[in-house]
Parts: sequence; C-alpha cells; structure tokens
Amino acid sequence: MPTIEVPKEKWNGKVREITLGATAAEGGTRAKTVTVGGETTLPFLHFEGEIPRPPAIAIEVQDRKPVDWSPVLLEAWGDVTEDVAAWTKAAAEAGADVILLKFSLHDELSPDYARQVLRHVLDATGLPLIVFGPGQADLDNDVLVAVAEEGKGENFVLGVCEDKNYRTIVAAALAHGHLVNARTAMDVNLAKQLNILISDMGLPLERIVMDPTTGALGYGMEYGYSVMERLRLAALQGDGMTQQPMLVTPGEEAWRAKEARAGEGVPQAWGDWAERAINWETLTASTLVESGADIVVLRHPESVKRVRGMIDVLMSKSGVTS
Amino acid sequence: MALPGNSTRRIIIAEHSVRFEPSGQTVQARTGALISEIARQVGLDLNMPCGGQGRCGRCAVIVQDGGAGIRRRSTLRLTSEDLVAGYALACQTVLEGDVVVTVPVQEKIERRLVTDKTATPIVLPFTYDPLQHQSVRLLPLTLDPPSMVDQTDDWSRLKRAMASAPSSSLGQWDSGNGTWMKQESAADDGTGVVDLMADLSTLRRVGTMLRQHNWAVNAVVEIDIWDRPDGPARLIDLLPPGRTEHLWGAAVDIGTTTVSLYLVDLLTGEVATKAAEYNGQIKRGEDVISRIIYASKNDGLGELQSLVVGTINELLERAARRAKISPSEIYKMVVAGNSTMIHLLLGLPPSSIRLEPFVTTINHPPPALASDLGINIFPQANVDCLPGVASYVGADISAGVIGSQMCDSSALTLFLDVGTNGEMVLGDCDWLISCACSAGPAFEGAGVRDGMRATVGAIEEVWINGETYEPTYRVISNPKLEAQGQPTPSRGICGSGLISLLSEMFITGVIDKAGNLNFDLGSSRIRRGEHGPEYVVAWADQTEQGHDIVITKVDIDNLIRAKGAIYAGFTVLAQSVGIDLSMVERVLIGGSFGQYINIEKAVQIGLLPDLPWEKFHFLGNTALQGALLALLNREYRQQIGEAAQGMTYLELSADNSFYEAFTSALFLPHTELAQFPSVAEVLADRDMQSVR
Repeated sequence: MPTIEVPKEKWNGKVREITLGATAAEGGTRAKTVTVGGETTLPFLHFEGEIPRPPAIAIEVQDRKPVDWSPVLLEAWGDVTEDVAAWTKAAAEAGADVILLKFSLHDELSPDYARQVLRHVLDATGLPLIVFGPGQADLDNDVLVAVAEEGKGENFVLGVCEDKNYRTIVAAALAHGHLVNARTAMDVNLAKQLNILISDMGLPLERIVMDPTTGALGYGMEYGYSVMERLRLAALQGDGMTQQPMLVTPGEEAWRAKEARAGEGVPQAWGDWAERAINWETLTASTLVESGADIVVLRHPESVKRVRGMIDVLMSKSGVTS
Repeated sequence: MALPGNSTRRIIIAEHSVRFEPSGQTVQARTGALISEIARQVGLDLNMPCGGQGRCGRCAVIVQDGGAGIRRRSTLRLTSEDLVAGYALACQTVLEGDVVVTVPVQEKIERRLVTDKTATPIVLPFTYDPLQHQSVRLLPLTLDPPSMVDQTDDWSRLKRAMASAPSSSLGQWDSGNGTWMKQESAADDGTGVVDLMADLSTLRRVGTMLRQHNWAVNAVVEIDIWDRPDGPARLIDLLPPGRTEHLWGAAVDIGTTTVSLYLVDLLTGEVATKAAEYNGQIKRGEDVISRIIYASKNDGLGELQSLVVGTINELLERAARRAKISPSEIYKMVVAGNSTMIHLLLGLPPSSIRLEPFVTTINHPPPALASDLGINIFPQANVDCLPGVASYVGADISAGVIGSQMCDSSALTLFLDVGTNGEMVLGDCDWLISCACSAGPAFEGAGVRDGMRATVGAIEEVWINGETYEPTYRVISNPKLEAQGQPTPSRGICGSGLISLLSEMFITGVIDKAGNLNFDLGSSRIRRGEHGPEYVVAWADQTEQGHDIVITKVDIDNLIRAKGAIYAGFTVLAQSVGIDLSMVERVLIGGSFGQYINIEKAVQIGLLPDLPWEKFHFLGNTALQGALLALLNREYRQQIGEAAQGMTYLELSADNSFYEAFTSALFLPHTELAQFPSVAEVLADRDMQSVR
C-alpha cells in the first residue's frame, strides 16, 4: 500500500491561554482553576498542532427560578432552581467545569442583592465562575461592579461587555482582578474592535474572553460558525487581536428555538419533546465546539453529558474509540 | 351585491378648503391630497431634503384644527408635544377636511462666498488654438449679392461663401486620425461644396440677415460634434458683421449640492467669469436617492428638471451680467454631472439607477438643443452632456479623470471625488478602474444635528486641549462683522469642521476608537443630552441661535460610517487589482469638498490612507475642469468619451468584500492600526504623556 502523507499547515499563531478562577494561593477561594486556549491548530487536528486541553463546559444557573425557561429544563433540574446555591451544587455534580451565574431582571435586583447571591454561589462551589448581568447596560454595570468587588481576586469572568457598554465593567475587572467576556454581533471586525477597545483601557489580552455570538441550529448557526472559524484562522495566522479563547452560549440559543420550546402544536414527526430539545442544544454546542469554541455554556444536564462525551472522543488522539 | 341588512358606507371624495398662513392663500383640494402637493400648487416652497419620504422632518407645518381635517401617515421626528401643537409632516399628511396650515419660515440656503467669484486663474494643460481645437467657430463671410445673372438661392450662396472663406478659418476634423486637418484641398476649388446644415428656425432668419447686413455677416458654425465627427457642419446663427470680438461658451458642473459654471471666450480660451450656486433641487432631496424617489412622484421629474435648469439660468444670468453680455450670446455648453443629475437635466426618468441591477437610461447622451431643455443660451446652441461610466460613476468622474490629468502619467494614481457619494478611480495612463460608494451627506454637514454647509457662521476647524478637553475653534466669518472687528457667532459645524472635531476628540481620548464618549474624563462638555451622549462644542452664549452646538453619538456614528465607506471603497478597489495602497504614487482629490480637508485630520480618522502628505493633491472641482477642457478642445472631449468607455466599473454590492472592508473601517482610525503608522505614533506619544 502506498504511504499517504497528510498535508500539514504551518501556523505561526496561537490562541491565548486564559485561566479562570483563582485558588487560595492565587488570591481567591476556588478549589480549582480552569485554563482554556493554547491551540496552535484548527479544532482537534492533533496531527498538525497542539490542542493542549479540551473545551470547557459551563452550566448556566440563575439567581432565581427562571420565568421564561422551558418546562423540560425546569423539570430536569427540579427544585434546585428555587435556590441558587443548591442549583450551583447540582450543576457542579452534573459535570460543569465552570459555573455561569446569570442575574435575571426583576425588581429586587440591586448591588447588595447581587453581592449576597454571589456569596451563596461562591460558598456552594469551588469551581471558577462566570458572572453575567441581566443584559441592560445600567443594571449590568451596577450589578457587575458590586459583584466584582465582592468577589475580589476570584478571577472570574464578568460579562457582558459590548462595544456600547464596556468601560465600567472593564474598570471593575481591572480594579478587582477579574476577566471580562467581550460580546459582539457575529462579525470578525466587530470582535477585533472590542478586543482593541478593552485592551486600550489597560486590561491585558490575557484577561479577555471573546464571545462572537451564535445562533442555534437552524437559526443562523452556520453564520456564527463561519465567523468563529474565520476568527480562529486569523488567530492561527498571527493576528493578535483575534487570539482570545471563544465563549459561546449554545444553551441559551438552542432553548430559544421553537423546536426546543414548543411541546404542543408541532408535527408528530418531530418526536419526543424533551429528546428533541436536548438534541437541539447538543447539536448546536457540538457544532460550535468544532468551529473552535473554548467555553460552551449549556443548560440541560443531559446535554452536558452528551457534549462531554463528544469532546472526550475528539480529544483522544487515537480517534474514535467507541 | 349588497345583502339585505348591510348598510353600505359611502365614501365621499369631497373638496375642502385649505388656507395657508402667513401668506393667506386659500385653495380647494380633494380628500386624500398631500399637504405638500397642495402647497406646491399654490407656489409655496417647502423644503423636503429627503425627497418627500417622511424621513427628515424638515417639511413640518402647523395645522390648526389638526384633529379632523387631516390624517398623518407618519409622525416620524415629531414629538408628542409637537403633535399636540398641531405639527404635521407636509409630505406625509393627507387632507380630510377644511384646515388652516401655517408654514414656518423656510430655512434659506446661503452661498459660500469664497467658491463664487474667485479670481484664481485657470491654467490649461495645452496652448489653445481655436482653429485646431474648437468646433464652434465664428466665420466672417462676404457673399456676392444675387443678381439676374446669378439667381442662386440664399442658402447655396451662403454655403458657397463658406467654402471659399479663408482656409484658415474652416477645416476638417479627421476622425480617422484623431487630428484636425487644416483644410486646404477640400473646398478651395470654388465649387461651393460645403456640407452645411441648419435648423428650420435658423433658415427662417437667413434671408433677412443677409439682406439687412448687405451680404456681409458673421456665421456661427458648429463644424462638428462628437456624434457627427465628419460633419455636416451646422449653422447656428448669423451675426452682424461687427461682432467678432468674442464667441461665448459655458462649461457647467451639476453637483448634487452645488452647480458651478465657467463663462468662456471660445476665441481665446479664457474663462471670463465663474459662478456657483446651490442646486435648486436640494429642497426636493439632499442626495441622489431622495431625488430619484422624488422624480418618480407625480410630475416630480418635471419639477426637478425645471429646478436645475432654473439654477443654471440664474448662473448664466449672473455670469453674463459680470461679462456684460446676454446669455443668448452663448453658443456652446458642455455639462458634467453624476448620472442622476444628467438624467434629471435631460428629463430622463432616473428610477432604474436606484434599483438593482442599477442601470441608466443612457451613459452617453446625445447633444440636445438648449431650447429643448429650457436653458437660456442661444436656443439653437447644443448642450453637450459628457458621458458617464455607470449609474454611480457619472460624467463628473470621466470629466474629472481628464480634468485631473491622471491619465497623463504612468504614476499609479488614486483619484477621489468626495461628496455625498464617494467616487474613486485607480489607475494610470494605461488602465482605469472605478467604483462608487454612498458616504451620505455627513461630510457636507447634513444628517448631523448641528451640521451645516460651509457658509458664514460654520465652525470649520476645531482643536481640543488634551488636558482640559476644552475646544478652540475657527468660524467662517461674516465679512461685515469682521470689518467691524467683531467675532462671528457660530451657527453649526461644516464638513471640514466635523473631520477636524472627530479627529481631535479621538486623539485626545474624548471618544474611544469606536466613537463612544468617555464620561470618565469629568468634562462638563461630555454629557447625556436629549439625543443621547454628546460633546458640547460651543456653549449657547457663543452661538447665533442661543443654544449649545453639540456633536452627538449619533452624529459621530454617521461620520464614522461616512469615512468608513470611503476608505473601504478605495481599499476594495486596490484589492481588486492586487495593489497595495502604499504603492499609490499620487492621490488626487477632487470635488468642492476636497479643497477644505486638512490631510492630517483626515488621515487620523481613517478617511484618507496614511501616505506621505506630499502625495496628496487637492484639485478643486475636477468635473468642471474636465467640462472646460471638453468645451475648448475636441480632443479632450474625445478623451473623456474614451475614459468613460474604457474605465472598468467595479460594482461594490456584487459581493461581500466591500462589507468586510467597511466594517473593518468602522473604527478610528481603522481596525488594523498597522495601516495607519503615523496615527499609531501619535497615539503612542499620547499614552506616554499620560503615563508621565
């Protein structure tokens, strides 16, 4: 049999290595830290370059029981959604590498309230955190500044920074030793621009995670995929402003899709609701992992299991084993 | 068929009475008529810069009894207080009852004094010899009077005289060789064979003129024109024998914003006077798209045609007065302008220019008689509209390419014509490629809250102190106030002022690279206003209107989009031919806007490429310069045609490379700072200083 030489691309760029969380020795209280990034080739091309570590999975928990989540999700988690500390523990047990704490929008949301919630979560887990505000510029700033101070030195990721609202969050990250998540609307240039804006404020690129935004399967995922792929290609080609590890939120996106949300009034051929919804989240997430995601934020514990399984296979250098 | 029990509602198309205040005009109009159209019928002039699309809010009127008498289709840009006060957009409001409409004082458009009447001499790139270059001639003729022996008709007699006229005064254009042959052989044989034609209206005057002036006249003859290069010659007019001192022509550039005109003596090639005026179409739309939309409305095309002709006639009148002649003594006119302007002048419907696949009715229109267009030069004179390349690269660019002489050199040249549309051409004497992008009117002061044209009271340059964030600025002064030693209060910010302001805000850190205002600086000038974040350039007490002059975040975004579009345009143009911008040897900037740009500031915001300053040349109105060359020299006229024909047109909307380049350019100065080394240096200096 003739020998076939697999062609290899020579890349001169590398994805930045970014560590989430800080142990006591590092000035925080986390039991462990999680490092992402460091790739020197396209996803899982072990024969060509380094894929030093698997993509991390974050599980999203919210400060109170979500009002807009699918019953399928709420049922899977059960009563823990009533209590953020219990939910956090359950998420850790479900296999999360990182906990994403998302504040929801309600009247009681205040800086003090946010501090208390953060305290509960920090006490409930030793995993590194990502903390997202409710998604309204002024409230995000209030909440995240308080949270950053309360969790000083914990080295968690504050989000979401956008090009219209990033200064306050970045300043809080700078002052209290955290990272930020830079979210832009599915565009290579916008992603680069926000990284530049944030680093212009003095936050080192080693403390920025970028979130190029994505859509769920069937809802623009291919566009997000292509943007992520192009960002990663630029990073490997040596463009310093695209070398941030990428965080994406396939859980949030997939559970917004009709296929995941709707249990009634859909064609019978769509099959079992829960299975379909989990498939939707799993397929969205695994596709994004293939396009270079370093952190995927998921919602359903079963999806976590399946995505983890896929990542394990992709990371085993001998290829598919089972 | 009405079913029993169903009441049929009758729709009544009734007449209502509309009274306009303060003029007091009253008119009857039918239900459903637009207020703007009723106003037009009574001759009231409402500004509609958006072309009547309801976007700009400038045609707002106050309707008493606003409740029942009208229906507002759109209330965009009106606040709820405005609505309570009875305000309505004239272009979006239909009549449903008797109303009284109060028309607020309409903003008058002022002329920039410096562009009109300037005295800089114009240097032609060739030595003008009318016998060699000019197609319209003045021929002194002496005819043998008819007699019983020679009963030749007047016309043949005239032709015979022309054939035996001094050979130096008549020749033949050899289109094959592209050269002008002095005619020695063709008609000197006395056989009287000259191919001459005339319109009926000219013929009607021949007999009288010849007899009145005793068989000695001056003939104004158009020997050839581009669509009849081999003749026949055309008799335009017969003049009394004394009139041989001047033969007048006019070169015109119809800009979307400004119309400019040269009055030229075709005997000497000298520009006798210049005149410029805002295009009268502005009140019906500030950009070409608004005008195209307006033209598609009920008789909008006719109105726009007569508006621009009105502007041209006004300029002719003004120029002629200064030269102490009558406009009817002008026998030749050459017109440059973008494709939409040329369509509107000729009365050609421009709608297909706006719609995919973006095609004009004609790129190379035939000459038209002045009388057919309503232009008040000699009625049988030809108005020659120069050829364009495509819908958005018009005759102004083909004329500009020749006017700027970019084709005369092997130096790789980028030619930019920056206006509401940015048109650009890259190439040298061997090849040309062009494209166009819409920059929007921001750099002309429109679409910006306190933007204005470069007239008296406009802030035209701004400096910001890097520590206090306080601005200093220069205002275009009112000569009367200046003479009295008084400062001119500011009224707004013009294009060059906006470029300078944007650059200063960026370099001093008042805004970040994305144009966000930095509230952490603690300056009272950076605040949240009614329209979002803003920077106060002038406090109310320094302004004419008595309110603060500001630049808002929305304005900043508009400016960044405008500069991004232009930069993206020429980067894609260069990419398409595999050329790096640093290889460009000359950047020629045309368009009246260009004259006032500060290169350093324009580079700092990423509007112009970061090249050594000596590579930039501001040429002023290159389209008008091209029209002048075409007016004087048929070889240049031919070159413009060849440039239009030979230029490659790159359609930027055909793929996504423009969009990529555009989003990359939506940053100060650019996402790739490496493309702007001089700006990177300035920023590094600034950061060093702030560390100290």
